[in-house]
Amino acid sequence: MKKTIAILLVIALAFSVFASGSKESGAADGKLMLGMVTDSGTIDDRSFNQGTYEGVQKAAEELGLQCTYLRPSGTTTTDYLTAISDLYDNGYRFIACPGYLFAEAVVQAQEMYPDLMIVIIDDALAAGIGPNTVAITFKEQETGFMAGVATALKVQSGDVGFVGGLEIPAVQKFNWGFQQGVAYANANLGTSVNMDPSNFVYQGSFADLAGGQQLAMAMYDKGVKAIFAAAGGTGVGVINEAKNRRLAGQDVWAVGVDVDQYSVGDMGNGESCVLTSAMKDVAGVAYDQAIAAANGTFKGGVHLNLGVAEGRAGIPASNPNLTPEIEAQVADVAKLIADGTIVIQDTADGLIP
Amino acid sequence: MKGKVISKPLEARKASPLIVSLSAVFLGIAAGCLFILCIGKNPFAGFERILFGALSNTRRVGNTLGMSTQLILIGLSVAFAFKTGLFNIGASGQMLMGGITGSMLAYYLPMDMPRVIYLAIVIVASMAAGAVWGFISGFLKAKFNVHEVVSTIMLNWTAYWIVYDFIPRFIVDPTISVKSKPIETAHTLRADWITDLTGFSTMNYGFFLAIIMCIVIWFVLEKTTLGFNLKAVGANKFCAEYAGIKVNRSIMVSMAIAGALASLAGLTYYCGYSNIMEMGKMPNEGFDGIAVALLGNCSPIGIFFSAIFFGILKMGRGSLAATGIPTEIADTIIATIIYFTATNVILANFWNGLFKSRFERNEARCRAAMDAHGDKRSLEALSHDEFNAYAKEGKALMKEGK
Repeated sequence: MKKTIAILLVIALAFSVFASGSKESGAADGKLMLGMVTDSGTIDDRSFNQGTYEGVQKAAEELGLQCTYLRPSGTTTTDYLTAISDLYDNGYRFIACPGYLFAEAVVQAQEMYPDLMIVIIDDALAAGIGPNTVAITFKEQETGFMAGVATALKVQSGDVGFVGGLEIPAVQKFNWGFQQGVAYANANLGTSVNMDPSNFVYQGSFADLAGGQQLAMAMYDKGVKAIFAAAGGTGVGVINEAKNRRLAGQDVWAVGVDVDQYSVGDMGNGESCVLTSAMKDVAGVAYDQAIAAANGTFKGGVHLNLGVAEGRAGIPASNPNLTPEIEAQVADVAKLIADGTIVIQDTADGLIP
Repeated sequence: MKGKVISKPLEARKASPLIVSLSAVFLGIAAGCLFILCIGKNPFAGFERILFGALSNTRRVGNTLGMSTQLILIGLSVAFAFKTGLFNIGASGQMLMGGITGSMLAYYLPMDMPRVIYLAIVIVASMAAGAVWGFISGFLKAKFNVHEVVSTIMLNWTAYWIVYDFIPRFIVDPTISVKSKPIETAHTLRADWITDLTGFSTMNYGFFLAIIMCIVIWFVLEKTTLGFNLKAVGANKFCAEYAGIKVNRSIMVSMAIAGALASLAGLTYYCGYSNIMEMGKMPNEGFDGIAVALLGNCSPIGIFFSAIFFGILKMGRGSLAATGIPTEIADTIIATIIYFTATNVILANFWNGLFKSRFERNEARCRAAMDAHGDKRSLEALSHDEFNAYAKEGKALMKEGK
């Protein structure tokens, strides 16, 4: 009896606290607040999450706006939706969601919050893009193509390989573009690089460092000279193996993905085993959309598919492992891609799937 | 509250578990305030945000209850094993077994089945799966004296890899191959009327299941021979054996029931709160449940409220983070509370000492006043009001004496 009364008192006390503390705070000065929700990785993943947040942060700094990110408590649609509403209810009206895992949550959020501006990166939102949502995808095949050309020009002959994470469109397009790039160099730039289907594999995970390293070990043992690693954390395993081999005196390379991964391949002696990286400018698009949202020029309901022509895909501006001649040749190829002379397919037709 | 205070002197001098738990919560929150102050933010604003995030509208209240559902059931599971002197650290694995059973049934059972029958099958089947999973640990403990902490941790990983194998084999989502195909709403524990009432929150039938389970477990523990046997084994295994209780059988039964409760939590989590299962994810809730059970003093009613408290912290942490205070603060508060609950002996001693000295002081005052009045009765014979009156008078007397 005594206990019950005590419990009831505690509840009453708790609710009196809630009652006093449920005012909407939010944007006090009426300025837009910029938010972002991370997907399965962390904010410092040197890839998608970090890139997106850097873009949002840059826009916020330039315009003097408040910005923050939330890491959801899990990676289910429920968790993503909760994180989005946490930001919304705290006054954020612009939210960037990097990654295809957000698709379902964004579809629900765009209906629940019509005045929220949402940007989803890496998914075309097949279920329908709301008037308040921008879906952004990249032409991975174009940046993969440029990395392929650069790699072929560097190794000149011998074998190259590919390690992918999950077999999802974004990764597949990297693979197909890379193959077409190597083939283009063979046909037009005088290289004779070989592509064996057994060296083009998907590891099945973005987070299996050891698995990536094992695949790389097997490929380098077979004589593969460069591996394009489009596999997140698994790809880091590939880069680590390349690092070990280079330190042991072997002439092998890894090719990075998504962001400039030169520093990931740092061997501790001022050199890197990362030849170049097939980049998607996640930070740039996040920045663009955040600026547009702040300036009132945000245009929802569209799907943007960005590539070399828009300056949102390509290899890094500086590649210490490529000679200036190679960089110039790749730049020429980029021009041809941008003006439509070179058309790169985003399907597996006639390629290693 | 009338009656004779002195007739129960022992109880009067002891801190109730509720006070111990509440002081753990208080110290945890105080530590949280300190952390928030350290990063230069206003702690009251921080806690206001937590409450805002957890309870500011029906949807958020629904989400908090949806989150608490798992915690109540896991807390019950851990507490039930605890009453038998077993430490069930395998709630995560049992959750996964319940979840994968429920998800596979949701995938393969026909959609045109009557809802009631479907729900009954799923609930019974996943509880059975968890019961088997818990029973394995109990069996190993009873027959081979394998410590349940070791076997449940091992079984956590066994369940983890079973799920890892079963998702791609049976219920994979064709578009994203690392998770299961989303379950149709009709095959989850969600109900349209709850969803509508709470503005599309995650609350589902699981919450009512959790309440029912609280009552059932309370009944089993307090009102049945089985419960008495189990508690006797927990209190002193050898004594229980001497009294003719089958200790080995009790251990197996207890672990099976604990497993069934945890797997029911898995069902509510994967087929109610969420509608997918992911590969390579060990649910944290299994470990949070230990904290819930500790804070709730292993009693069903205590677990219910401590689970809701943890639910509030877990749902509020997002809002807290949105104000620029790292979510880790909310996690730290939870961790600090667990720490203080774990050291409840210290807290209990503190309160007991306080109560005891207060009581003794009052006793001395009372005696002094009675001597002055020439009242020859024993202390036990006084009524509550008389005792208080004498104590008050004695206090004044003693002051004068000085």
